[in-house]
Amino acid sequence: MSEPRPVPALTATSPWDTTGYWGPTDPEQHPAVRLVRERFPDAFREATVFRDEMTIRVDRRALRDVVEFLRTHPELRYNHLTDITAVDMLYLRERPRFDVVVQLYSIPRRQRLRVKCGVDDGETVPSLVPIFAGANWLERECYDMFGIVFEGHPDLRRILLPEDWDEGHPLRKDYPLRGYRDYVQPGFESPAPRIRGTLRRPGP
Amino acid sequence: MGMSTVQSHPNIITTTADWVFSWARRSSLWWLQFGLACCAIEMISSAMPRFDLAERFGMLYRASPRQADLMIVAGTVTKKMAPVVRQLYDQMADPKWVISMGSCANVGGPFDTYAVVQGVDQVIPVDIYVPGCPPVPEALYYGVLELQNRIIRYERLKQRYGLEAAEADRQEQREAARAALGPRSSGAR
Amino acid sequence: MIDFSQPTPVILSEVRQLTPTRRELVLNMGPQHPSTHGVLRVRLTLEGETVIACDPVIGYLHRGVEKLGESHRYAQFVPWTDRTDYVAAPSNNLGYVLAVEKLCGIQAPERAQYWRMIMAELARLASHLVWLGTHALDIGALSVSLYTFRDRELILDIFEKFCGARLTTNMMEIGGFSREIPPDLPEMVREFCRYFPKAIRQYEDLLTENPIWLARTKGVGIIEPDVAINYGLTGACLRGSGVNYDVRKAMPYLLYDRVEFDVPLGTHGDVYDRYLVRIEEMRQSIRIIEQCLEQVPTDGPLMAYESQYVIPPHKNVMTTAEDMQRHFIWVIKGFSPPKGEVYHAVEHSKGELGYYIVSDGSPIPYRLRIRSPDFVNLQSLPYMAQGAMLADIVALIGTIDIVLGSVDR
Repeated sequence: MSEPRPVPALTATSPWDTTGYWGPTDPEQHPAVRLVRERFPDAFREATVFRDEMTIRVDRRALRDVVEFLRTHPELRYNHLTDITAVDMLYLRERPRFDVVVQLYSIPRRQRLRVKCGVDDGETVPSLVPIFAGANWLERECYDMFGIVFEGHPDLRRILLPEDWDEGHPLRKDYPLRGYRDYVQPGFESPAPRIRGTLRRPGP
Repeated sequence: MGMSTVQSHPNIITTTADWVFSWARRSSLWWLQFGLACCAIEMISSAMPRFDLAERFGMLYRASPRQADLMIVAGTVTKKMAPVVRQLYDQMADPKWVISMGSCANVGGPFDTYAVVQGVDQVIPVDIYVPGCPPVPEALYYGVLELQNRIIRYERLKQRYGLEAAEADRQEQREAARAALGPRSSGAR
Repeated sequence: MIDFSQPTPVILSEVRQLTPTRRELVLNMGPQHPSTHGVLRVRLTLEGETVIACDPVIGYLHRGVEKLGESHRYAQFVPWTDRTDYVAAPSNNLGYVLAVEKLCGIQAPERAQYWRMIMAELARLASHLVWLGTHALDIGALSVSLYTFRDRELILDIFEKFCGARLTTNMMEIGGFSREIPPDLPEMVREFCRYFPKAIRQYEDLLTENPIWLARTKGVGIIEPDVAINYGLTGACLRGSGVNYDVRKAMPYLLYDRVEFDVPLGTHGDVYDRYLVRIEEMRQSIRIIEQCLEQVPTDGPLMAYESQYVIPPHKNVMTTAEDMQRHFIWVIKGFSPPKGEVYHAVEHSKGELGYYIVSDGSPIPYRLRIRSPDFVNLQSLPYMAQGAMLADIVALIGTIDIVLGSVDR
């Protein structure tokens, strides 16, 4: 005597039909993909779609030119820099180690686009500050959290962590969640009884 | 109150003045307006019309640590913020009291990470711990009332046995409260 | 005994003599300052009372929320989203659960979506009330904060009724809500909607035509539309400059395309216009809530029924073996979304709040990025402060509407 199973409401074939938000799902028909590939045949790497979200991957040296092109081209006009962040791909692939992810939005066309570029440890990415003033802190945060150096940034220093932080970059995958050292206040060298935590991220 | 009867100094005028000071200290705590994180919003809520902590208990928040005698550490103390908290504590005039409000200030709370000090009692001595994430204003009330009891006890001991005995007792109370929090996670890996 | 007499390093101001007649003063403001809304620190370079340069120093509340998200399972992370922006916790819950739902390809039932909209709009009101009270308090209108916090308590009562917590609500779950809506909650929200427009009129009586308020806010902190876009501003900071971008209208999520509301726009882009925009946003929020209450079905499922990603209904866990197993696996192991990456943005009370999640197919997010609106908005402070008077700085900090938990994460 089991209860009748509740039926899912709003049965749609694709619940996240967000085609209009990210442009056509076919890379061949997406204007940004087509135009970037035409304009930067050497720098363009690939275009991928997941959940209708269009991502184009370019060479790191051409990142600023590509973004500038996307911003100024009259058919594209991606004029709003939503976000710059990075992903440490340590467990997912060999090289390059990081992905720098730039989220763009076009206010007049109401469309998003994600631009990615791979960057290895020790390599630099051209800074987007000359194009978007809003890139300033976002790139500083990337530098602080991942140690990615943005070439041409006017003021690249730590932003969230103390400026004298010497323990590396915490959002890298090999950095432990709890850091390497406790904070020790002079006079408080023997604090309350402590236990060792057991929380660990499972390995790759 | 009974406080004037327990004191045993010969000079009745100064002792009565002491009693008046003690009474005044307990019932007009001025606290340092010092919000760190989420708990600060609840602290502000408790000072605002519905809960009205400030007016009911004769409390008043001051922006300058020089004029404050109670510090309510409301929120997460990060490693970047810890020296500032310590400096503010050092700037307060004696006798000064500390309420640690919320789990983050007590033991680090849910933020067991590289950036957070696991409890403000590693930076400054804490008299009262108020649990909760964040504590509701009623919990803060309870903490303030407990602190007033603590102040009565401190002043009474000071009058009877002198400052050092009172400080030693206060230290004992702090250690007991800290032990009651139980073990906490180790900060570094 | 512990020795508490150790001195600590002091960060103080300095004076630089530029020429024999001119000198500039570097003034430190914060992190403990009553009108920096938390632990923001600003280093101001002054010549006389004019601000030459302004360098916000943030990170005093950096708690490593993103790293925590990359160490916990998807469903475990919801409570931390409350604590990033703690004055509008339901909006943060909403952004996160929508991003995860998009990643998994599931959708909450209609009724849950309406209730999510109601709660998100109430959170917007609560956040704007904190903003209005503290902003007015900074500028000198002390009494406004007493009114706004009085009315904010009514919203917190609704939250408390709904989920048991006042501030850090943790109310939304992946897939919808797992608990039933309290039966008297709709009436409570309706009561609030009847009352609240009167309260907005009270605030406006206190401020909108107040000559001191006008003198302190009009023409202060002007951002031109192109500069606002270039800085990547969102929310009322962008709309105050006259740029029409509201995520609810531009790319509707939930059921925002079924309700009618207007997006208020400013014309001058100064502090006063942003104030007017936010006041009007409060009225529009009430409009949205009223329409939602009319349209919301009175009964129906609140939780999506998908095989793997959501917690099964409690009743089924107790009666069917299949759901009991699912529940066990969901709790012990978590669920594994497909490999991929999603970005989902919602219109938070401060601007566009986006969650960018990279999944490697394990039950733990590989990368969890919070695009917080006030972190980006705060960048415009040096631009606005250039050439402003020292006393305007508190008005400028107030008008951006920052919450340091969200700025520093």
